[in-house]
Amino acid sequence: MSFRIKVFLSIAATAMLSVWIVAAVVSALVSDSFERRDQQRTAALVNQFQREFDRRGAEAARRIEAVADSDAVQRLALNFPDASSYFTEAQTLAQEQSLDFLELVGPDQTIISSAEWPARFGYKEDWLAQPVDWKSQGVFLKREALADGEALGLITVRTVKAGDGTLYVVGGWRLDQQFLDSLPGAEGMRVRLSQQPGQITPVNSDTITTLPLHGRDNQLLATLLIENSRADLVALKKYIRGTAAVVGAIGVLLGLVLSFWTASRVTRPLRSLASTVREVSTGKWDTRATVSSADEIGQLARDFNGMTEQLVEQRDRMIQAERVAAWRELARRLAHELKNPLFPLQITIENLQRARDASSEQFDEVFRESTTTLLAEVGHLKTIIGRFSDFAKMPAPQLEPVDINQIVRQIIQLFEAQLHAPGKPAVETKLVLEKDLGPVSADPEQLRRALRNLVLNALDAMPGGGQLTIRTSRSDGKVAVEVSDTGEGLTPEECNRLFTPYYTTKQHGTGLGLAIVQSVVSDHKGTITVHSEPGQGATFRIEFQA
Amino acid sequence: MKRPAWAWLALSSLAFATAHAATRPHYGGSLTVELHAGSIPIDSAASALSIPITETLVRLNARGGVDPILCVAWQHDPDFKRWRFSLRPKVTFHDGEPLTGATAAPSLLAALKKKYSDVSIQTGGQAIVIQSGSAMPELLSDLAAPDSAVFRKNEANPRIPLIGTGPFRITAWEPGRRLSLAAFDDYWNGRPYLDSVTVGLVAGQAHADIFDIPYGLTRRAFPEGTSIWTSAPRTLVAITAANAPPALLQALALVIDRPPIANVLAQQRGDAAFSLLPQWLTGYAFLFQSTPDLEHAKQLVSQLRPAPMTLSYPANDVFLRTLAERVALNARDAGIMIQPTPNAGGNLRLIELQMQSTDPATELASIAATLGLSVHIESGKPETLYQAERSLLDRVIPLVHLREIYAIVPRVHIESSKPGSFALHLEDAWVQP
Repeated sequence: MSFRIKVFLSIAATAMLSVWIVAAVVSALVSDSFERRDQQRTAALVNQFQREFDRRGAEAARRIEAVADSDAVQRLALNFPDASSYFTEAQTLAQEQSLDFLELVGPDQTIISSAEWPARFGYKEDWLAQPVDWKSQGVFLKREALADGEALGLITVRTVKAGDGTLYVVGGWRLDQQFLDSLPGAEGMRVRLSQQPGQITPVNSDTITTLPLHGRDNQLLATLLIENSRADLVALKKYIRGTAAVVGAIGVLLGLVLSFWTASRVTRPLRSLASTVREVSTGKWDTRATVSSADEIGQLARDFNGMTEQLVEQRDRMIQAERVAAWRELARRLAHELKNPLFPLQITIENLQRARDASSEQFDEVFRESTTTLLAEVGHLKTIIGRFSDFAKMPAPQLEPVDINQIVRQIIQLFEAQLHAPGKPAVETKLVLEKDLGPVSADPEQLRRALRNLVLNALDAMPGGGQLTIRTSRSDGKVAVEVSDTGEGLTPEECNRLFTPYYTTKQHGTGLGLAIVQSVVSDHKGTITVHSEPGQGATFRIEFQA
Repeated sequence: MKRPAWAWLALSSLAFATAHAATRPHYGGSLTVELHAGSIPIDSAASALSIPITETLVRLNARGGVDPILCVAWQHDPDFKRWRFSLRPKVTFHDGEPLTGATAAPSLLAALKKKYSDVSIQTGGQAIVIQSGSAMPELLSDLAAPDSAVFRKNEANPRIPLIGTGPFRITAWEPGRRLSLAAFDDYWNGRPYLDSVTVGLVAGQAHADIFDIPYGLTRRAFPEGTSIWTSAPRTLVAITAANAPPALLQALALVIDRPPIANVLAQQRGDAAFSLLPQWLTGYAFLFQSTPDLEHAKQLVSQLRPAPMTLSYPANDVFLRTLAERVALNARDAGIMIQPTPNAGGNLRLIELQMQSTDPATELASIAATLGLSVHIESGKPETLYQAERSLLDRVIPLVHLREIYAIVPRVHIESSKPGSFALHLEDAWVQP
């Protein structure tokens, strides 16, 4: 993740978090305010309901009293028990007094006339048999049976003497939605009556306050539901959320701009420093970072410049030391390589000098032998010098499309005689060549030379015979050549030093073979690695860009 | 002080009888009749108020016998397939046309075709021969029915739609509003006392000489001296079911408490009905009487588990609506859920059936026909009548037999109509000058 994105995310997160906290606090305060307002309105409505309940109850009681005192009821009381012709009387009286419920009930609690359910005459109202002073009982809630169900009523009872018995006048008004609608309610408030416990379901997100309504025997008859609409609150919260979202978006946008600006300010010297580092890493040791500020980044640039200067000094010293060491190694190697043929030369020459004193036949024989030896050793010296000359003369590669498989086959063909030389342990050859290897841009002569050295190296590693395996492959845009032997293998330390010039593990090696291979591979922008374990042989792998 | 309705009826009947004995008939004068009914019946048989415009060949008397009216004699073959009637001579229609076989045959044939599809009538002078491929043992009862009245249609003048031979003739007919009648001076049995009769609908408070007292007005105060005439029970209110199982109807019949319906709901103007035909008509109706048996009804319902049903009743009829609610209330006690509903074709129907004949067999056959059923009653075998009625009770639940009640102002005197009789005959009425 880039520094710029990190800065942007930090600023955006800070802005969003701030806005969210503010929005949450404001929402909480608004909710609390609405909650208190709803509580006040609900309490006012409950008071209003109680007052209206009492007022209508008193009015119902007055009207039932009027019914009880009416001529019709008095006549009924006098004529009782002949009451069949009063069957419709309750409807007439209820209409006169504008009552929703009115029943005239006989002393045996049998309905004589019912306004709300005329067909119910003759049925019993057993609850009237209770010994109650109905006048002091006042108005109470009661579920009234109707032809099409039940209704809740504000009921009151009055009694009229009828002979030896008592005539009951039972009536009142409905407590229904119409009653509730008459209550002065604030906007957004709704009052409902639920007569089925357990079925109270709020509408949307409205808050519901319930007020249980009990009957005369304290049984729960209905529940008054006062619903406070939370539409305003929901709308306000939505507005707050919307505003917060807009402010948050602006914050994020601002954060984006600020992050770009800040990142530009901060990362410009860093990018410059990074560019300088990259240049230094490519070998431009004289490159220096620009110190444009006195802050931490400026200090970093200064320290980098100091470090680069120190590295340059150390590198120069190291190059100097390596150069000296290389010359010493070269001198040592040359001395060693040249000293070996010089000793036979010296002995041969001394033999010639001693042979001059002997007979001429002996001298001739010694002379022939000595000159032969001298020529052989001189040839040896020339070979040594030639090798050094070859290493020194590595030309720049002439690149052209090359079929590596073909080069591998040519090299194996070249070594065919050596591989199966009589009197020598046989080395078996195994070629595993990728069919679709494709051409590689390389110098064919140098490539041939490098592979020849690797094969030669492998054969040297298997003096007792074995298997030489050459494998070509192509993957991930690279072409690889592996040369494996089944020789003694190498230690990890030998592996590390293997490509150092003049390093050899062979008794008569110059230590230049693998150095030449590495030089060729390096000139072709390729890589060479070795994998080996003692006793497990060794595998050299060269990779080129396809 | 409230006076019971039965006391009113007794006192008014007594006053009616006293007045009848103390006065003598008087010719002349007009009579106005006002009805609360929704329409004015031109067919007098539909109401207890009899204002005869038409007549039948024969009439059933109170003893169950047959009296000749427009005929004087009749004969039939042993198979009851051929009947010969001799028409009464010197009888004319209201327009002066003499009553002959040819003038009487069209209305008679139309009436008889309803029952006897292959019936034919041959006429010759004052003779009428009625023939059918099947036996017609109840032909006299059929001819005594109001449907078999002899009349002629008067398509030329819609104000006088039919021309009969009865004591009153139509002078003006305004459908749904008014029926004006005048005495038929050439009536074969003597001119009626009244010069004219006007029948109209009650617009507000009744001010007529005779007016009906509908449901709900029984306790109303009437002018001093007004007498109350009550007919014999002649309207059956019953429940019919189209497809309800008989056991469910039985449960419903068991749970309905009829006496309160008759005494309270009908305001004592009816009798609890357990049979289709009233007691006064058959004499055996008491055999069907029963008391509510809620437990038995509940047992039947628990086996049936019936779905909720609807009970339809004629709209705007307060009595029938309350009766339907009462039935629903009673039914609920046994677990039968019934919803009263106006007019709609429910599972159950509350119907009113007007009696038109004093012959029980004819009346039962008429009820069966109205319900879309048929019954087999053998003439002269009352047990077959009983069996027929019992079979009909599987499909019909009778609730109440209603009477008709009329108020009659003191100046009106009706010679022949006693309280509790089948009809109030205005042809015998006269007014004091």
